Amino acid sequence: MEREKTSLAAKRYSRDMLIAGALYAGVVIGGALTLNQEPPQWAVVVIALLPMLPALLMLRAYLVFLKGMDEFQRQIQSEAVAIAAGVTGFGSFSYGFLEEWAGFPHLPLIWVLPTLIFSWGVALCIVRLRYK
Amino acid sequence: MKNRLKVLRAERDWSQADLADKLEVSRQSVNAIETGKYDPSLPLAFKIAAIFGLPIEQIFSADESAQAAE
Repeated sequence: MEREKTSLAAKRYSRDMLIAGALYAGVVIGGALTLNQEPPQWAVVVIALLPMLPALLMLRAYLVFLKGMDEFQRQIQSEAVAIAAGVTGFGSFSYGFLEEWAGFPHLPLIWVLPTLIFSWGVALCIVRLRYK
Repeated sequence: MKNRLKVLRAERDWSQADLADKLEVSRQSVNAIETGKYDPSLPLAFKIAAIFGLPIEQIFSADESAQAAE
C-alpha cells in the first residue's frame, strides 16, 4: 500500500520533471532561434527570463514530491539541500573573492543553479549512504 | 535512543515492509529507526506504540550514555 503510494509519487515526479525538462529545452531552443532575428531589447529581456518558467515547474514538482515523503526521507532531503546550499554559497562566494582579488577568470552566474543541483545530487548520495 | 522494534516485529512475524505499510512510511525509514540511525518524531513514535499495542517506554528507551549524562 505504502509502496504503491511511494512509487505513484515517484512516477508523478518523473512525469512532471520530464514535461518541465521538455518545455525547458523548447524554450531555450526557441529563444536562441528568436534571438537570431535580432528582436528589440525588451523582447530579449522577456526571452531571457522565459526559461525560468519551466525551471519553476521543476521546483514545484520537487516540492510536491517532498511533501509526499515521510519524515525520515524529508530529513535526508533537508540535510542534502543544506549541504548543497553551503557548498554552492560558500563556493561561489570564495570564487568571487578569487575573481576580484586574485584575477581568476570570470565565471557566468548562470552556473550557480546547475552547481546547486549537482551538489544536491552528490550530497543526497552521501547522506543516504550515512543512514544505510 | 534505543528501541525494541526489531524484536517486536519478529514476534509478530512482520517484515520491515509490512511494518512500513502499517505506519505509512518507507521501508528505509523503518530500517533507519530499527538500527537507531533515526529517532522518530513523537507522533510517529505514538503510532508505532499504537500498532504494537504497547506504551512508548516499552518500545523506546534512552541510550545508556544519555541516561548517565542526566
